[in-house]
Amino acid sequence: MLKTEELQINIGPQHPSTHGVFRMLVTVDGETVTDLKPVFGYLHRNHEQIAEVNTYLQNMPYTDRLDYFNAMANNHAYAMAVEKLVGIEVPERAEYIRVLMVELTRILNHAGALGFLINDMGAWQTQLAFGMREREKILDLFESVSGARLMCNYFRFGGVARDLTADFMPRLKDLLVAMPAFIDEMERLLRENEILLQRSEGIGILPKDLALAYSVTGPVLRGSGVAYDIRRAEPYSIYDRLDFDVPVGSVGDVYDRILVRIEEMRQSKRIIEQVIAQLPDAQGGHINPKARQNVRPPVGDVYARVETPKGELGFYLVSDGSSRPYRYKVRAPSFINLTPLGDMCRGYKVADMVVILGSIDIVMGEVDR
Amino acid sequence: MQDVVNQVINTSFGWGWPSWAIALIGYLIVAALLFGIAPFQMLFLTLYERRAIARMQDRIGPNRVGPEGMFQPLADGVKIFTKEDIVPTAADQWVHFIAPCVVVAPTMFMFAVLPWGPGMVPVDMNLGLLFFFAISSVSAVGLMMAGWASSNKFALVGAMRAVAQMVSYEIPAVLSLLAIVLVTGSLSIVELINYQGGLFISTRDVASVPDWGLGWFIFSPVGFLAFIAFFIAALAEGERTPFDIPEADSEIVAGYMTEYSGMKFGLFYLAQYVLNFLLCAITSIIFFGGWQGPGVGWLYAQAITPVNPQGGWVFNVLAGVLGVFYFLTKTYGFFFVMVWIRGAYARLRIDQLMDFGWKFLIPLTLVNIFSAAIWVGLTKWGAADGLAFVEGWSPLVRWAAAFGVTLALNLGAYLFLARIFAQSQDERARQDDDVLEQLTNVA
Repeated sequence: MLKTEELQINIGPQHPSTHGVFRMLVTVDGETVTDLKPVFGYLHRNHEQIAEVNTYLQNMPYTDRLDYFNAMANNHAYAMAVEKLVGIEVPERAEYIRVLMVELTRILNHAGALGFLINDMGAWQTQLAFGMREREKILDLFESVSGARLMCNYFRFGGVARDLTADFMPRLKDLLVAMPAFIDEMERLLRENEILLQRSEGIGILPKDLALAYSVTGPVLRGSGVAYDIRRAEPYSIYDRLDFDVPVGSVGDVYDRILVRIEEMRQSKRIIEQVIAQLPDAQGGHINPKARQNVRPPVGDVYARVETPKGELGFYLVSDGSSRPYRYKVRAPSFINLTPLGDMCRGYKVADMVVILGSIDIVMGEVDR
Repeated sequence: MQDVVNQVINTSFGWGWPSWAIALIGYLIVAALLFGIAPFQMLFLTLYERRAIARMQDRIGPNRVGPEGMFQPLADGVKIFTKEDIVPTAADQWVHFIAPCVVVAPTMFMFAVLPWGPGMVPVDMNLGLLFFFAISSVSAVGLMMAGWASSNKFALVGAMRAVAQMVSYEIPAVLSLLAIVLVTGSLSIVELINYQGGLFISTRDVASVPDWGLGWFIFSPVGFLAFIAFFIAALAEGERTPFDIPEADSEIVAGYMTEYSGMKFGLFYLAQYVLNFLLCAITSIIFFGGWQGPGVGWLYAQAITPVNPQGGWVFNVLAGVLGVFYFLTKTYGFFFVMVWIRGAYARLRIDQLMDFGWKFLIPLTLVNIFSAAIWVGLTKWGAADGLAFVEGWSPLVRWAAAFGVTLALNLGAYLFLARIFAQSQDERARQDDDVLEQLTNVA
């Protein structure tokens, strides 16, 4: 009998598929992963400390840099937190514009996430290119309203920076006409391909109780079969007026997360269509004219959270009455969703490990703040 | 080539050189040609792959260097030559240095038995097919050397994967070829191509068929199944998607070539693309007749050959050009299929690859060998060999009987094995088409 030895491999911090500078300390027995330790912190850039020496408004562009895929959603959470702290009213029209942007962000994020996931499975960029093509169209829309494609910095306390441009609605409608074809194509690519099914079904199972114990949120949690979506559980903005479903998986494997993301894109499209229908009747302008941007909130603390495409993003702010936050804490979904990685990977193959990491959908900018 | 050299030196110039000198000059010319052609194929195929895959991804691809990006591979070559060659201090210097050569050399050897057109084979070996696959296995040694000498865990894992994959997929590849060899009764690649004259039916099976150069093996059930099995195995041998597991870039960086840079890395790339070309070429030769096609046979019959010394040299050229055209069209067609698969599919996992090879492909190819035996028995044997009942049937009827029996056998074997294989995968298959309806519930 041959004597075999376990091998310790460092996947990362420089590695093609760790989605940034992230290290996994993996112990493998042949091709099987026996242990995995995620090591974070390589991209730590003092985000929370810097935010505490900035004024409240100066932090708005910083939130873009957390999860650079979903700048709009980050803006939303931060704006909500400060508005709650100061007590600023948001006009109806501004709320509709916010929801519109955030739902577009959700589609953009899932298109990219699914593309990257298939890339991790070893496809050569084609599916990713399809996802990115769709993302580009949405980024064009963001550019037209905010002037920036990635770091939008679009939200303000009490509304959004600018109103929609004249050509925004026709372009959005064009986009929505083409979108079902894209989503269907993506779904066919993922669900009618035997190799992708073999690589995703029954891989990286995260049981419901474990997911709850790790306080995982977003598509990962819903893939594990927990119908928890903050837009439903604790409706904010105007989500209580909108009609949408929360897709849930049954087993909690990679395939369930894929299905949940595909269905969420459809639901986001549904939300956007309702927003388009209701927007003309909405009261008020794009921003509350009475809202001051250089806020000095009263002493107190606040926690505001939204459902970003990756899960629950929360901002905890403590004010000491000055123009700068006394404490600024981010509850980042990528970071918390990443913690069960070791439990999800144990017992699977090296190739699965990469796919499981991809299915969590992390952005390192948000993990290491 | 020796006929031509002999013609030029001894007949035209009348120098009366001895035959060994003629042979030496002929081989030297051919070897020089092949050493030029092999890297050229690699250059062409990299550009071809990048442009083709760019089309699939809604991009344009490299189009800056030269017209339509034609000099892009040359620019890449210059770049790779000027790069610093880094050898890790912990690496075994000598083995690390030799490994790329051990990988490249066999691919060059394999060109020796590759026929490009009628009468255009460097060496007509009567064991050509055996030589081809025996030599191709040598590169597995080079991969192991590269992986082990790099003293890198990714490289080691990659090399282990590469060797495991190459060794297990050579079996279905060779087994599927064995069926063809059984039918032709020869291991010579030239003989294999000559067998495939005819129209849908080979002239060797039914002599009355017109010779349009279309009697390819792909048209028989035995050949079709062997083709499918062989092409899948070729994808694994050439480390192409979905079997690019040894160099899975999203898992183990670049596999066995992780620690290579500069031209040593370039040599691995050269070996890989030349091997891919050779695998496509051998696929087109064995199953699609190589240079066989309408017109080549007729043209070659008028040309200067040992059989027909009175022919015209124009026909040599014409037959050669047409034959090479047919051969390269088929070969690049197969390479396109490889690119296509790369553009569409993800990668299998190593255990799934092994499962598929050992549990599905090998049994299937074994059944195919049995079918080939039946084919040979029905089409070639008579009362003297023990098949008295076929005595007196016309060749066409015998061919039809062989076609029917082998088709039924292969189809049955395929369906049976596919069912067994699907059952073995049952533990993972848990969802079906109506799953989304169940999934979507209102929270």
